[in-house]
Formats: sequence, C-alpha cells, structure tokens
Amino acid sequence: MMELSGERRSVAQLPWLLLAMTVLTTAVGIYNLASASRPPSAPMWVSQIVYFFIGSAIAVVVAWIDPKLLERLAIPIYLFNLAALIALKFFGHKAKGAESWFVVGPIRVQPAEFMKLGMLLMMAKYFHDDHRPQQPTYGFLRLIPPAVIALVPTALVLVQPDLGTALMMAFTTITVLLFARPSLPVLIVLGVMAVAGAGVLWNDYLRPQYTEERFTIVRHKLKKHQDARITGWLDPTSDLKGSNYHAMQSKIAVGSGGMNGKGWMEGTQTGLRYLPEQHTDFIFSVFAEEQGYLKCLGLMTLYAGLLLAALGVAAGAKDRFGAFVAVGIAAMIFWQVFENIGMVTGLLPITGITLPLLSYGGSSMVSVLIGIGLLVNVSMKRQRSGL
Amino acid sequence: MIKLGQQSDAKDLRPRLIGVAVFFIAGLLVLSVNLYRLMVVRYEEFNALSVDNQFKDVRLRAPRGLIRDRRGEVLVDARPSLDVFITPAFCQKCVAEVIPRLAEVLQWDEEQRARVEALLKAAHGPQRYQPLIAAVDISREEFDQLLARQFLLPGVDLEPVPHRSYRAGPTLAHILGYMNEITQDELTKLNGSLERPPYALGDYIGRRGVERGFEHAIRGTDGWVKHVVNARGEVMRDARGNLLRGGTSEAPAAGNNVVLSLDARLQAEAERAFPGTAGAVIAMETKTGFIRAIVSRPAFDPNEMTGRVSPKRVAQLSQDPLQPMVFRAGAEHYHPGSTFKVVTLLAALQSGVVTPSSTAVCNGGYTLGNRRWRCHNERGHGVVDAKRAIQVSCDTYFYRAADLMGIDPIANVGKQLGLGGPSNLGVAAEVPGVMPDTAYHNRVTPGGYTKGMALNTAIGQGDVNVTPLQLAVLYSAIGNKGHVLNPQIVQRIETPDGRVVETYAPKQVRQLEMTDEQHKLLIDGLVSVVNEPGGTATRSRSTEYTIAGKTGTAQVARLGAVRLKKEQMNYFERDHAWFAAFAPAEDPELTIVVLNEHGGHGGSDAAPTAAAVFAKYFELKKADSFALGEEWVPPRPPKPIIFAKPNPAAPADVSEPAVADVPLPPESTVQAPPGTP
Repeated sequence: MMELSGERRSVAQLPWLLLAMTVLTTAVGIYNLASASRPPSAPMWVSQIVYFFIGSAIAVVVAWIDPKLLERLAIPIYLFNLAALIALKFFGHKAKGAESWFVVGPIRVQPAEFMKLGMLLMMAKYFHDDHRPQQPTYGFLRLIPPAVIALVPTALVLVQPDLGTALMMAFTTITVLLFARPSLPVLIVLGVMAVAGAGVLWNDYLRPQYTEERFTIVRHKLKKHQDARITGWLDPTSDLKGSNYHAMQSKIAVGSGGMNGKGWMEGTQTGLRYLPEQHTDFIFSVFAEEQGYLKCLGLMTLYAGLLLAALGVAAGAKDRFGAFVAVGIAAMIFWQVFENIGMVTGLLPITGITLPLLSYGGSSMVSVLIGIGLLVNVSMKRQRSGL
Repeated sequence: MIKLGQQSDAKDLRPRLIGVAVFFIAGLLVLSVNLYRLMVVRYEEFNALSVDNQFKDVRLRAPRGLIRDRRGEVLVDARPSLDVFITPAFCQKCVAEVIPRLAEVLQWDEEQRARVEALLKAAHGPQRYQPLIAAVDISREEFDQLLARQFLLPGVDLEPVPHRSYRAGPTLAHILGYMNEITQDELTKLNGSLERPPYALGDYIGRRGVERGFEHAIRGTDGWVKHVVNARGEVMRDARGNLLRGGTSEAPAAGNNVVLSLDARLQAEAERAFPGTAGAVIAMETKTGFIRAIVSRPAFDPNEMTGRVSPKRVAQLSQDPLQPMVFRAGAEHYHPGSTFKVVTLLAALQSGVVTPSSTAVCNGGYTLGNRRWRCHNERGHGVVDAKRAIQVSCDTYFYRAADLMGIDPIANVGKQLGLGGPSNLGVAAEVPGVMPDTAYHNRVTPGGYTKGMALNTAIGQGDVNVTPLQLAVLYSAIGNKGHVLNPQIVQRIETPDGRVVETYAPKQVRQLEMTDEQHKLLIDGLVSVVNEPGGTATRSRSTEYTIAGKTGTAQVARLGAVRLKKEQMNYFERDHAWFAAFAPAEDPELTIVVLNEHGGHGGSDAAPTAAAVFAKYFELKKADSFALGEEWVPPRPPKPIIFAKPNPAAPADVSEPAVADVPLPPESTVQAPPGTP
C-alpha cells in the first residue's frame, strides 16, 4: 500500500503558497534587474529568466525524487559537494580575490551555493536517524556529529575566502541546532559563546584605546579588507573614500529612495554606477532607491510569506528528515535575506552574499530553486502519508 | 501498514516551529524598521547626498599668459599639447594589459614603462581617482591610434593641455625658467582649504625665472562647469551628445602676459657675439636698470625640462662640469680683476689719499713689508696719474693707494655700489658675492686682517667676488653718477588683450655721492681705456660713439714662475676675461658687462663682444627711430686719435694678465727698483 501510495502524487498536493511567493518574488527580481542592468549594461534580466527556467526544471526533478532515495543520497551528495569545494582550491577560478568559481566553458558554477544544501540534507538525515523519543533534548555528545557536518564545509568556504556565505552557513546551522532542542547546558554554553563573541568584537574594535598597540584577540588574523569592513560597519564615517565608500554609497541609494522611490530606471545612484555589484550583492539598494519604502515593505511581506510557507511545509512533514530539511532551507533563505539587506543598509558589515531570487546569478537562482524543490518534495510526502 | 510512531515522528517539532516563525518575522521587522529609519526618517539627508553625487565641478583650464619682449615678440607661448592621463581606479588590468598597449603605440622604452608602473603603484586610496600624467605631447598620429583603441584602454584619457613652448630654446633659459608638475607639498601649501583649489594634482607650475617669479600673474584662474557625472567621473551626455542637465559654470580667466624689457634682437646679437664656452653677457639700461639682453652660458633647454625629463638627463645636467643649470649672470661670483679698479680709485679719491693729478711711479711692482706685489707690466708703467692708471690698468698705482688707505674705504665704496649683496633682479636666485673689509678678514681669514689683503682687493683679487649683474649695476652707477639701481627685467604685466595691469618703474637702491671732478676723472679714465693709445681695449673702439669701459683679467689659478699662454693651461685654470662698459660716455644709455669664463684676457676675449652689442644697440636704435618717425640724434663720436695710427700688428692693447699676491720667499726679498714708493 505504501509503495503504491508513493506513486500517487498530484498537482493538488503542491504547496501553492510557497510556489506563488517564489514566482512573485522572482518576477519582482527580474523587473528590478531590468533597471539595474539598464543600457549600456548587458540585459541581464533575460539571462535571469533563463536561469529561472533551468532552476525550475531541476527543482521539478528534485521534487519528484522518491523521498527515501533522497534520504539515502544525503551522504553521497554531501561528500560530492565537499569534494567539489576541495577541488576548487586546485582548479578554481579566482575572481575578486576569492576562489569561488568553477569555469567550464561559458558556465561558471559556485560550489558553495550547492554545498549549503548538501550540508542541510546531511544534518537532516542525522537528526532523523538519531531521533530518540526517550531523550528529547540534545546534549553535547549528540551535537558533535551535526557540528562537524556543518563545520567542515563552513571552514572550506571561509578559506576561499567567502565570509558572507560562511557566516550564513554558520547562522543556519545554529538555527537548525536550536530547533533540534538542545539541552540546557548546551544553551548556556551557546549563550556564553555569544557573549564572548560580542566581547571579542568590543575588545578588538570598540574598546577605548589608550596605547599605540592594541591587544587584539582575533582582529590581527583577519584579512585587511575584512578588518576594514568591520571597522566601517561599527563606524560608518571612517574612511569614506576608501573601504567604507561602497557601504556609504549603498546607504545613500537606499535612503534617497524615500517613501515612494525615484521610479523604475530613474535611480541616480544606480544609473551613475555608484553602487558596487549593483546587479548581485547590492541589488536591494537598486530596489529601495527606485521603488521606495512602501514597496520595500511589500518585498518584506513576500519574503515573510515565503518563509512562513516553508515553515508550514515543515509543520506538515511526515518525518523528522522532512521537517529538518524544511526548517534548514527556511533558515538558509532567512539568513541570506537578513545578511544581505542588513549589509546594504549598514546594519551589518559588508560581506559578499546574494539576495535570494532578486540577485542576478545562475548558481544563486538555481540553488534557491532546488531548495524550493526540496520543500515541495517534503510537502508531497506529507500529503501522500496523510492518505 | 503504517507505523504510528513513524507517522508522529515530527509532531513534537511543531510547537518549536512557531518559535522559529516568530524569530524570522522579528528579523524581517528589524530590517523593516531599519529601512524606515534610512528611507523615511533620514530621507532628506541621503537624498541631498545622492544629488551631490550626480554633479561634479569639472575644471576648465585657464590658458597661461605669454612672455613677450619689449617690442611684443613672443618669447614663450602656450600651444596645445595632447597628453595621456591614466586614472588608476578605472584602469582595469592596468599593468598587465593597458600599459603594454600604451607602450606599443607610444614606443616607450623600459624606463618609461617602469616609471608609469611605479606611479600607478604609488597611488593609494582617493589618489586612485586622480588622473596621472602618463605621456606628454604625443603626436597626432599616436593620438589617432590611441583613439581607435579607446575601448581597450579603460581609465586612459587623452586631453589637450596647454603646453609651454620656449621659442628660443636654451637662450634665456635661466631668465624664463621652465615648468613641471606640482608636488604634493606645494599642493597642500598653495591650495590650503580653499573651496575651489587653484591647483590640482598633475598641474604644472613655474620653476625658476619669470615662470616661477610671475606664476601668480601668468597662471590665470581656472573656470569650472557643473556636469552630471557617473561614479567614474565620466561626464554623462544624453543621446544627442548634449551634456545632461548642465548647471552653472564660470569661464576661465586667461593668465596675463608678462612683457620683459629684453630686446630679442639685441639678445640674439649678444648670443652670437659672445665667443665663450661659459660666461655671461648683460646689457642693461644705464639710467633705469632694465635689462636689454642677458646671456648665461652654458644653459639648458627649457622645452626639454618642461614636462617629463628623464632622471638620467637631470643627472647628466647636474653632473656636467660646466654646470649648465647655474645662472652665471647672478648666481655665480668671480674675482672682478681689474674691472674693480674703478672702486679702488673712487675710494682713494674720496678718502683723499690720491688726487686726480697726484702720480705714482710704477717700476713693475710694489713692495709691502718683505713681500712684493707684481704689476702685470713687469717693465713698469713709469710715472702714472689716476687717469693713466685706469687706462693702462697699472696695478702698482692701486697697490699704493690701498697701502695708504687700507681695505675699509674700498669696501665702503664697493658696498655702496651694490657689492657684497644680491642685486635683486628678482627672477632668478642670486649669490651676494663678497666685499671683504677688516671685520670680514678678522672673521674669516686665519691670522686676521693684514695690509696685503687690501692690496689684493684693490686690483680685484684676494677675497673680493662679484657677479656679472653686480658689476653691471656698479658700472651703471659710475656712468649715471652714483645712482645705484635695482636691475629689472619685467617691464609690465598686460591682460591678454593688451591692457596694462602693472608697470614696473625704475628702482634706485641708493645714491653714491661723488663730486663732478671725481665723476669726470672716472669717465675720462674709462674712455681712455677704449679710445686712447695704450688703453687695454682700444681694439674695441668705435668711431661713431664713445665707449667708456674697463677690462679685467681675473686670475683663477696661482701664477707659477713662468707665465703660460692660455692654450698651454688646463681650461679650468685659465683666467676669466671681463669687460665692463657703458656708452655713449657723455650721456650713458647702455651698460654692458661681459664675462668670458676661463676665456683669457679682457681686452681680447671680452671687449669685442661688448663692442658688437653696442654696435647692434645703436644700429637698432637708429632703425627704430626711423621706423617710429622720430628724430634720430646720433651720438657724439669720440675724439679722434691724434697720435699714431693704431698698428694692428702691434699689441695695441696690452692686455694685462692678472697679478695677485705672489708671496716672495721670506729670505730673498726682491730688490725694489728705484722709484718705488
């Protein structure tokens, strides 16, 4: 009966809200990209549509894979992604100081974008297999395997160096771990670590300086541009012509959008190219400048709908694997949105990270859509088992 | 069969999903509140910044003023030169791709390439947005080639920049100066905190000479225009090529022209007539101090120095033993030799140790203590009065006068005539020279002042040192009866359309009192040098006007026992030849000083240059007065020579080799011939 019901999937079981939010957000993204890549730039929105269809096709395949097979494939997928990240060290293409790309003919692939999905699948599998109803909370020992599962790829991404993606992976992992219900001691330790992290930041950057030589804990190990970004984040007025220039220009773009925006294709910061990476990392600045605050709230609502729909999928998941995959993907999208918008509005230091469904780029688009495909997969398993 | 446990596998997670949802919504709310803060609360501030970003003041360079001679002939102009600029921030793959492409078109050698690469590397931070000059004055052909490859050369701009052209080449190099790029220090100093700084990185600024001294007048004021620019600073144009939303602007004000007192024609003649390898010629208006011609040789080419000059070339210039960068007319001093004797005579007359009619007997030298000072004429000049002492340049007469009055009266007259201090021509660095007196020797000379020093000074040797410019001022003061003038070379400043902005009047520094009798004696003496048989410069006599002058031969190396001919000596040990003169003697108009460094004798190696320049001066004066329709009053010709006709074969001018302190062996005192005082 189970085997039979496994074949019984239908359109009616699809998570419609999730799909609607995804398509709507992508449409907003393409509309916005048309302005960000206005002539004399290449019309990137056309390629973005192509990426969307490629990503959707892959997502459909992912959605239709037998969940059992997906669960079994978690380990090979994870290992394959790890291998790809390591291979990057040797065959990777250097762009803007980081080795993040494989170049095969005209195609450029960013393995980190897929690694995060592999990592989530692997963690979900662990929490699924390790479920002990008699021991509902996770102590230190039981959290070691998922921590290792997350730490290895995060470290590999960090050394590329791709601080933005690594941070996003770390935050996603912490979210998933917290969701898995850690024991009280673990929570206390995590709390202490958070305080300690804030303490390091204060010591290295904010502590009033009385001597020439500042005693630092982590700061001296950072690369110069990373250090400058943190300094710029904590003190936006420092070095406005240098490392803080882009952060300031981005804030100017966002702030000058006002309530109603300057209008599509009318953004001056965008048109005069004051924004760095204005079609990828800083795409939100373009949106804010041209569309204004009200439409930004609309975009926030779209993301909120997307996240709630994803959590809805988690809530209906038939097993822990599905629930953890859904929560993980939701957390991944949330952190990417939070980090990206936080960065272009000066709330967070500038790290390279894309805005899901709005930023231009094949890898980013395809990986988000695969995530949506996974959510659909989980969702349909729920419907089937509900019969 | 469905296992119940498996079905409820994830049910326990549901309450926690609510927590996650709340967390996500809270996160999005934080972002929304922050957006509100930026986009609504601080909208005005950021909007102003974004408007500010769109407009840039683009500088319009003011054309630099010209430098003209007294008749309006252009000596220095500004023609447009096509320069290549690189803005490091916009130059992608600069060293790897762009520079090699530039190097190929402009045919750079390794050194030029390395220089540009070093400049690029040195630019940090905001400097990366400042254009650097990569090449100056490229040809039209190179310009076309670069233009065709514009898209392969990101960050490279081609801009016409007014470029200085010094039409006469090295002539007047020290006076006109040259230009090169402003330094960071100068930028900081000159721009201060002005809102529209007058200078920008990469600007040229005058170095040396009039270019530097009158920078404020010739530079002009740059204009500006408000343009819509993109983040790269590129001016945005709409589809029809019009500037987008152009705002207010201010036109540049062209620099003023500087009119010099120089006469280019006389200058050319001075250059032509001066035979020396090194030295100076100055032609100055006797009554006003305005320079009509000035030569300082050797010189450099300001065209070469303006803009990029290779460090190799600079090193070559600074290591050249002839020192072409040194302004010999004012920034180098020399022993004046016998040209100084007018100072000694005036001092002696004023201190009363000699009178116009008192005489001395020259038997070829003068003995003071146990040392003997030789006269250049070893056979002696016999009985000599003041006028004849000047005419034949009798050393013995002046040794005696110095012995009688000491050094201080000489120094006093010398200083009043402008020696020992700069002449303040104002456009070039000058040295003060040395006018020694008792205090000076007590301070500087081991053992302090002794009478012998006065004797050396009296004939322009010892420690006395003058610049050719000082000597020109000094002889002018003799000619104009005591008016010590400030030499000047800039006559006026004019606007580009010829309106006079400022005129420079003759400046008198001080007045040296002398009686008519003293003045007449000096003039007579100087006239006789050139015009009467036995004078040291009779070869340079003119029959149309009277030249009054004095030769000098300044000794550089100590004399040996045997006097060597010029050709037998090493160049740098040869004597300096001087001639200082003015004409017409009865009402002097022009003073000429010629210094032929290591040139030999004043009479043969300096005076003929002055004679040629005088000839040209009067010829031009005559031609100009006809051209202007003025009445031509020819100068009075000199008295005819009544005695014998000067025999060209005979050494008519007994050019006097310099004689200075020749220490005698302490024991073997040379017997003073009878008649020595």
